[in-house]
Amino acid sequence: MPPIARTFVKAAFIYFVFAFVLGALMALDRWLGFSRWLRVVYLSQLHLLVVGWITQLAIGVAYWIFPRFLKEQSPHPRGSDSLSWAVLITLNAGLLLRFFIEPFYLMGPKPWMAALLALSGVLQALAAVGFGLLIWGRVRAMEP
Amino acid sequence: MPVTSRTFVKASIVYLCIGAVLGALLFANRWFPMGAAIGPLRVPHIQMLIVGWLTQLILGVAWWLFPPLQIGLRPGQTKPIRRGQQQRGSEPLFWVTFACLNLGILLRALGEPLYSWTGLDLFVALSGISGLFLLAAAVAFVATMWGRVRALGGRP
Repeated sequence: MPPIARTFVKAAFIYFVFAFVLGALMALDRWLGFSRWLRVVYLSQLHLLVVGWITQLAIGVAYWIFPRFLKEQSPHPRGSDSLSWAVLITLNAGLLLRFFIEPFYLMGPKPWMAALLALSGVLQALAAVGFGLLIWGRVRAMEP
Repeated sequence: MPVTSRTFVKASIVYLCIGAVLGALLFANRWFPMGAAIGPLRVPHIQMLIVGWLTQLILGVAWWLFPPLQIGLRPGQTKPIRRGQQQRGSEPLFWVTFACLNLGILLRALGEPLYSWTGLDLFVALSGISGLFLLAAAVAFVATMWGRVRALGGRP
């Protein structure tokens, strides 16, 4: 498994554990009432699971196992390294930005928070399009 | 990767891009409101990412990588004779899965916002029917793949 794929998968594992820790705290909060923050973080927690865990795992595994480019086609058998790192960085920057801002936005909306949330959405959309560009040519038959 | 899987995977990538752009649009709408028309895009955003992207990618990769069916076994041998795509199961049924899944996704993704924008009952009906297409896709997929969920090497 190449380093970029390992980074995607390990990041996915971290989100998986963290989202479940958060889920446990949210469940306990209904009983014990820890914090108001835990009552507004559910959307971000869902997002950590769907994007941070499942989507990021799918991206990492696809990058690893999908058919590689032939040497004649590209010197980079799995596609551009810089584009794949850019996908990793924009996806996680967008994800974390949303996670840290959205609960506070839901508790008391401010225009600057809305702007940062919009930025988080743009970063994640860029990551999605970047992944599409990165992997599209590799969705092919194994034999040329 | 067979043509069937390639079609599923490429469709899933398209849904990922559209779903993520819709998500960005929903967030941007909080910052500078673009009108009531944006809110109903939440349903297609979720539908395209959960079913269009993740589910469809999983189905395509499963068809590609799961163990082949045990067909064409010679007496006394544990490995099946290679029979190309036949080893993956019924290809027509897998195309039916693709058609039902994408029809279901599109009907739901378009029906909900179109109903919100126009108020026409027709779109509620289309959105309602979408669930039946998605159910048909799920049943067809499980029926196709059931026999391939097995140990490799001829062991049961």
